[in-house]
Amino acid sequence: MRYAVYAEWTKLRTMPGPGWLLAGTVVLTVALSAVAASSVTCASAGCGHDAARIGLQGVQLGQATVALLAVLMVCGEYGTGMIRTSLVAMPRRTAVLAAKAAVLTGLTLAAGTAAVLGSVLAGRLLLPGSGFTPAHGYPPLSPADGPTLRAAAGSVLYLALIALLSLGVATAVRDSAAATGTVLGLLYLLPLAVRMVADEEAQRLLWQLSPASAGLAVQATTDAAVLPLGPWAGLGVLAAWASAALLAGGLLLRRRDA
Amino acid sequence: MTAVTPYRSDLRAGRDGFWQLVRAEWTKFRTVHGWVAGVATGALLVVGLGLSFAAGSHSSCSKGPVEVPCPVPPLGPGGQAVEDRFFFVHQPLDGDGVITARVTSMTGLIRKPDATPGVRNVVAGVVPWAKAGIMIKESTEQGASYAAVMVTGSHGVRMQHDFTEDVAGRPGGVSPRSPRWLRLTRTGDTITGEESPDGRRWTRVGTARLEGLPARARIGLFVASPGDLTISPNAAGGSIAASRFAEATAVVDRVSVRGAGTGGTWKSDDIGVTTEVDGVTPHHPGRLERSGGTFAVTGVGDVAPLTGESTVERTLTGAMAGLIAVIVVGVLFVTAEYRRRLIHTTMLASPRRGRVLAAKAVVIGSVTFLAGLSAAGVTLPAGRRILRGNGVFTQPVPLLTELRVIAGVAALLAVAAVLGLALGALFRRSATAVVVAVAATLVPYVLAIMSFLPESVSEWLLRITPAAGFAIQQSVPEYPQVLAHYAPVAGYYPLAPWAGFAVLCGYTAAALALAAYRLRGRDV
Amino acid sequence: MEATIEVSGLRKRFGATQALDGMSFTVRPGQVTGFVGPNGAGKSTTMRVVLGLDAADEGSALVGGRPYRSLRTPLRHVGALLDAGALQPSRTARDHLLWLARSQGLGAGRTDALLERVGLAAAAKRRAGGFSLGMRQRLGIAAALLGDPPMLMLDEPFNGLDPEGIVWIRGLLRSLAAEGRAVLVSSHLMSELQDTAGHLVVAGRGRVVADTSVADLIEAASGGQVTVRTTAREPAMSALAGAGATVTVTGRDMLTVAGMAAEHVVRLLGDRSVPFSEVSAHRATLEEAYLDLTRDAVDFRGAAR
Repeated sequence: MRYAVYAEWTKLRTMPGPGWLLAGTVVLTVALSAVAASSVTCASAGCGHDAARIGLQGVQLGQATVALLAVLMVCGEYGTGMIRTSLVAMPRRTAVLAAKAAVLTGLTLAAGTAAVLGSVLAGRLLLPGSGFTPAHGYPPLSPADGPTLRAAAGSVLYLALIALLSLGVATAVRDSAAATGTVLGLLYLLPLAVRMVADEEAQRLLWQLSPASAGLAVQATTDAAVLPLGPWAGLGVLAAWASAALLAGGLLLRRRDA
Repeated sequence: MTAVTPYRSDLRAGRDGFWQLVRAEWTKFRTVHGWVAGVATGALLVVGLGLSFAAGSHSSCSKGPVEVPCPVPPLGPGGQAVEDRFFFVHQPLDGDGVITARVTSMTGLIRKPDATPGVRNVVAGVVPWAKAGIMIKESTEQGASYAAVMVTGSHGVRMQHDFTEDVAGRPGGVSPRSPRWLRLTRTGDTITGEESPDGRRWTRVGTARLEGLPARARIGLFVASPGDLTISPNAAGGSIAASRFAEATAVVDRVSVRGAGTGGTWKSDDIGVTTEVDGVTPHHPGRLERSGGTFAVTGVGDVAPLTGESTVERTLTGAMAGLIAVIVVGVLFVTAEYRRRLIHTTMLASPRRGRVLAAKAVVIGSVTFLAGLSAAGVTLPAGRRILRGNGVFTQPVPLLTELRVIAGVAALLAVAAVLGLALGALFRRSATAVVVAVAATLVPYVLAIMSFLPESVSEWLLRITPAAGFAIQQSVPEYPQVLAHYAPVAGYYPLAPWAGFAVLCGYTAAALALAAYRLRGRDV
Repeated sequence: MEATIEVSGLRKRFGATQALDGMSFTVRPGQVTGFVGPNGAGKSTTMRVVLGLDAADEGSALVGGRPYRSLRTPLRHVGALLDAGALQPSRTARDHLLWLARSQGLGAGRTDALLERVGLAAAAKRRAGGFSLGMRQRLGIAAALLGDPPMLMLDEPFNGLDPEGIVWIRGLLRSLAAEGRAVLVSSHLMSELQDTAGHLVVAGRGRVVADTSVADLIEAASGGQVTVRTTAREPAMSALAGAGATVTVTGRDMLTVAGMAAEHVVRLLGDRSVPFSEVSAHRATLEEAYLDLTRDAVDFRGAAR
């Protein structure tokens, strides 16, 4: 297993794509967070916004590059036929998938931490200018504050879980275009579809089951009470999705011809 | 070296031309089951999601414990759903006639969000589009044709007719010290509206032709006041619009009516008033208090096109899922060739590379358009039927608009597939191309309606990104004379339908041109 | 239109590597021209440039007097097999030929005739992804023949074929050339072209090392040497040397004679009554001749590393 991890790490390290994608994750996340923090305004006390969620809004965009990295890690090998080389070198297929997952988790945790810290910093600098001042009931964003720390750390975990979910889907689907489409559909379409559901009870249930909506509940600080799921429970839903996807991917990888 | 007779083929000369290329690409497309299945999946997503949303939407109305059929909004002369609720003080008019009146004041009450729960928080004020003035209306039926000239809360004097038409007169409000004189003249089916500061110097505001106005019509005073609109952020992203009760009271004097049939007693009608649970007591009634020649008329409601009801394009929300499917197929249609190095064979068969790309675009565009057209063509009428069965009213729209929505959604899918193709040719990598295409079309749309971004930012996203193309499905236009939540989240786009679609087409054309340019310059 | 492929002065650089360095040759109709050279000699790149897939930095490549990319129905002029694996695996063999036929404005009937000709008629409706390498080569050749072109370019068509397949292709190439077509076949193994190619273009380090008929090449490599086996070594030597030949002793009863044809040697020794048990002309194999020619190129590459 250790060798498998080394091998996967070497594979990733020796291609230019992953480095760019990780850098892209940080840049896009911080950029969108900064745009959100400077464009959302809070005119008076009790304006109802959740400052931490606004400051971490960029995760909405960063998740796409993280998902792309995960998809390329698997489908890139199927595209070139290198998967056969990999599986000849490491016949224990579950170990190959586990190694990929381990390397991917490590990398997204690192990039996610940078992205989230950058976003919090951007929020801390920009939010007061948009009216999120102590006078309106908003102390500056700080990771030292309990709920903000939960939102920030949760966002990092969210990105890592999205990566694992994508890895599982990609292993199951194999074709990179189809895998990317499926993952982006899960991340962006499902929340949209949930909004369109007219029945409020069904909407609430679907919201709780949708990986992106439920997972991002972890960013709630002041809003937490009004969301259909608690912060950690929401992240748990995403974790369940990721485990299910990895399990399905792993089973298919074992059973199918490479 | 011996002389050799070079080979001469006796095969019939093939035709060369763009059409041959299109046929070749079509043959390629239809012989890969995955691609055909992908487009079919896109179409089925449009149908399936659309119909299941429709089936999942219910609306029930009750009066107290009794469930009743939900009231259906009246339709105006143009066929659109309208709100037609106001207080009308009127007389009959046979043939031509004139009404003149002076509005001396306009006041009102607005209910604000409760400061103390359970205690009604009502303040004095007039909403911007509260209306008070004079009107000639075909009948007292809701939705009947009319023309009116009026003073508004903060948009000055207006002449409006048949719900959607609106002409501005002189700005400014009214007060006892600066009253407004209003005059409506009927000549046949033409009605002219005029205003004056003093009853002597008249200025024409506008003219309306009410087609088929019967000889016997109603003429009189009216007051209406739409609800007070507040928009607040939603915890789950986006925003919530709420409309709260407001009423307006206008004081009108110096009323004179001339024409056959007039001169009798004034009749009061609270047009379109709803009743409380008991079925008798009117809910938020209007009223008339008259002392001599002075009329104090209080009205609630609005005389305007409806904006808030569900629109037909709601049945086509599955198009967004279909969009991803057709983008994936569009990308694969070219990247699969790169992956298999089949692109060499393609370029050998047709060395003019730009034309190959054009032929591919024609094929994928036509296929997705036809698939989208049949999907949307089935889903919209079927979805509307299901919604009607579930008690959900959808706003009727003119046939041409409905066709534009159906063809527009199909065109949206087609252009998105071509965008995917262009990006696939540009990047030569499926995953990158899919991410960029989805990030360009769908993500701005999601951010615009799902996030905390303020509406101004959301509207810019839907102006300058390819997501502007979603505007093509908007069936009900924005009316400047109606205050409503005109935001992307409520289905209103910042650009006109064709303008938004043109933005998407522009991006796609640019991507295609760039891909063709790179394809020509690079070794394959 | 003359069915001739003309390459002149092609140069192309990939980064630090000079892939083509003044490649020039002509492929004439009526014979199979072998295009040989070690791996990396620039054979495939030349073919890709001729076919308009890659652009050369310098020089020109014309098929029938025109650049490939100016042809309207190119497969009617040139048929090419570059990479037999370049297939959409889920498409059937027949459909693969069908879209190609459509692109040239040809009818669907042509595809079945070709599948028959390359021996794939039974597999016409099978997905090409399940084909063996040999079947893919046959399908690729069918695609090359689709437009019944007067010129053919095949890149390593023997790769992956079983002996039966190799014999089949050799026969096919010969018959195509006999019909008056210009046929260019690349290979890195000279032996594959023995008995097939009439003309050879030998490439090394991005340029042409030799452009010659097969007979001349072998003649040159053999150097016109004759081996004589005789028990009377001394009389034979003096007789041959006296007639102007160069004689070397190569064994106890063996002489190698240069500068005199074998028939002449026999007649001379007979006239002088010198006994001999064997006179044989030394014939180099094509392989030896080729190795002779390309040794420099290969050595240079080895030394440069």
